[in-house]
Amino acid sequence: MLIKNFSKSLLLFSIFAFVLSSAGISQFISNANAQDQQQDQKLIPINIKLPIPMFIGTPQNFRVPNLEKPLGKPRPPFLAPAETKNVALGKPVSSTDDEPIIGEIELITDDDREAEDGCFVELGPFLQHVTIDLKSRHDIYAIVMWHYHKQARVYIDVIVQVSDDPNFIKDVTTLFNNDDDNSAGLGVGKDLHYVETSEGKLIDAKGVQARYVRLYSNGNTNNDLNHYIEVEVYGVPIK
Amino acid sequence: MHTDEAVHAVKFGMLLENNFYRYDSSEYHGPTLYYFTLIPAWLESAKKITDISETTLRIVPVFFGILLIVLLFVLVDGLSWQIVIAAGLLTAVSPAMVFYSRYFVQEMLLVFFTFAAIVSGYRYIKSKHIGWAITTGVFLGLLHATKETCIIAFGSMSIALFLTFLIQDKFTGPTQKSFRKINFWHIVALIAAAFAVSALFYSSFFTNPAGIVDSYLAYGNYLNKAAHNDWHIHPWYYYLKMLIFSKYLSGPVWSESLIVLLAAVGILAAVFKKGITGVDFQLLRFLSFYTIIMIIIYSAIPYKTPWSMLGFLHGLILLAAVGAVVIINVKSSRFIRIFLAVFLVIGGIHLIMQSYLSNYKYYADSSNPYVYAHTSEDVFSIVKRVEDIAKVHPDGKNMYIEVVCPDSDYWPLPWYLRSFPNTGWWSEANMEVPAAPVIIASPGVEPDIIKKLYDLPPPGEKNLYVPLFDSYTELRPTIELRGYVTKELWDKYLQNKDLSSKDLN
Repeated sequence: MLIKNFSKSLLLFSIFAFVLSSAGISQFISNANAQDQQQDQKLIPINIKLPIPMFIGTPQNFRVPNLEKPLGKPRPPFLAPAETKNVALGKPVSSTDDEPIIGEIELITDDDREAEDGCFVELGPFLQHVTIDLKSRHDIYAIVMWHYHKQARVYIDVIVQVSDDPNFIKDVTTLFNNDDDNSAGLGVGKDLHYVETSEGKLIDAKGVQARYVRLYSNGNTNNDLNHYIEVEVYGVPIK
Repeated sequence: MHTDEAVHAVKFGMLLENNFYRYDSSEYHGPTLYYFTLIPAWLESAKKITDISETTLRIVPVFFGILLIVLLFVLVDGLSWQIVIAAGLLTAVSPAMVFYSRYFVQEMLLVFFTFAAIVSGYRYIKSKHIGWAITTGVFLGLLHATKETCIIAFGSMSIALFLTFLIQDKFTGPTQKSFRKINFWHIVALIAAAFAVSALFYSSFFTNPAGIVDSYLAYGNYLNKAAHNDWHIHPWYYYLKMLIFSKYLSGPVWSESLIVLLAAVGILAAVFKKGITGVDFQLLRFLSFYTIIMIIIYSAIPYKTPWSMLGFLHGLILLAAVGAVVIINVKSSRFIRIFLAVFLVIGGIHLIMQSYLSNYKYYADSSNPYVYAHTSEDVFSIVKRVEDIAKVHPDGKNMYIEVVCPDSDYWPLPWYLRSFPNTGWWSEANMEVPAAPVIIASPGVEPDIIKKLYDLPPPGEKNLYVPLFDSYTELRPTIELRGYVTKELWDKYLQNKDLSSKDLN
């Protein structure tokens, strides 16, 4: 009786184990297929049928000898919708250094890009950051920043982030990071170091939506101090 | 390359790569240009459009331009050696002839086949040999298969032939006597040869029989075009003014008035049979009537493009050669003969100078009257910039490029960007396809492109685009083109440029 019960139990257990295993194996297979499909989805190129050129006849002739090409305004530095403007202009700025060595933190959003004395703020040494509050969420297309550029300098660990969190703890998007050794602790940056010029550094913000913009730096090739002349944030308010 | 040249080049590319050609009765003219261009392409072992260059294409009109001069020697007995040499020299230095003999359009082939038909016809009249009749038919067929304006040449030749007989009071000239002995079956052979050759080309070598019918229906389309195209409407004196005198602001003086003047002398000599010996005056009269009728017809048609005058210009050159010989042989005082000789030499030097200037200095300048809706030299910097960007793109020349110009006004870029197979060509911004990393567009579509770049992608995925060109860039005079490239790609390009310049240092 015992043996009979044991055999029955063993059979039941085997059936149960078989069912479980089958379920597990089939789940494993379907997961693997899903992963493959996902990977396949990443690998499948976008299939765009590009139109061939349409043939045309002889174009209209404009006979204008010695025509000077129009000079007009220089081309803008980037393409953007007509309503795009510097939404950081005049906005409040905060910093890790409450008492800058030179200048005031408000100089960062005063629309003055010159490198003369009185136009820049000098913050303390090592890793510092400044945060601009745009006062509301914006579609941000580009950020242009000027560190001190009267001499050729390279600023170290330049990181630019945006967030809706004023403390930059959650929902943080990094737009630029050239901290290649992660000394700032914000991740290894892949962007390149650059020499400061009067043109500023243009950063593609990818149309990210955010209210706060934070910029880090960790000294420069001349000294350990940090400087800002101007930061411009180009975007449009989200309605 | 001119827009027209580039259109023909790309259509030729389809023939070269896919063995595909279909005659389009609404535009782009006949098939001989494309099929004859297969010869230099095959000699270069070219199989794709990217294997050929401007030289491969332009060698064809150059070849026919040279043949036009060589063909003169077949008319030595009718014109005399002096006239043949003078005509050869004038053809070789005429600025319009030289300028357009390197244009990849049908014009030089049209002029050659017309003259070849005239030469063959004359040889047939002289010899009565069926071979020349068939040759005449072949060239008439090739003429028909080249351009629809052959109908003007056919009409002018026919009327000129009629008038040549009409002014002869007595049927005593050698040509009239010759005409009386023409064999009816030779004419049949001539017509059959013409139809056969024309049908061979228009049917794309028997792969498209409908092309034969289309080649005759085309005349309706072209008559309509001649009357209604606003872009190329010019006054009746347009061609003559261009030949006699053109000057724009500080540009040089352009004038082939020496040819026009000498042609007038040649016509008078032909009509009055004075001032020259050892020529067939019937041939000269035929050429005079033919040229004058061509000038009248082309001047009367409102639709005009400068290269269209080559047909009657060639007639003027032949008659100018007659005029030059008349002047050289004039029976007058030594002083006058020297003066006339110096006049001819100076005039010839002026023609040579203009040929040089039109081809080596003012080849794309509007102050050159033969430059008509020509491409700006900015096209080279456009292409260079796209190639430099491709060098830093992971896909290289396979990178996706968007070109957006209303009314397809992006030519000749399809020729110059032929080695970029993933280029899409639009007349308006297409919101259905993703934006390319490189975009070239007319200023008018910029708002639509901005909408595509900024409205469609989700936040955080909108790429920033920066200008692709360093300054204002034109496709043709006053026709601006703008370029845009993703900032990411632009940064790579700048970095690559810096590294390259450091390597050079």
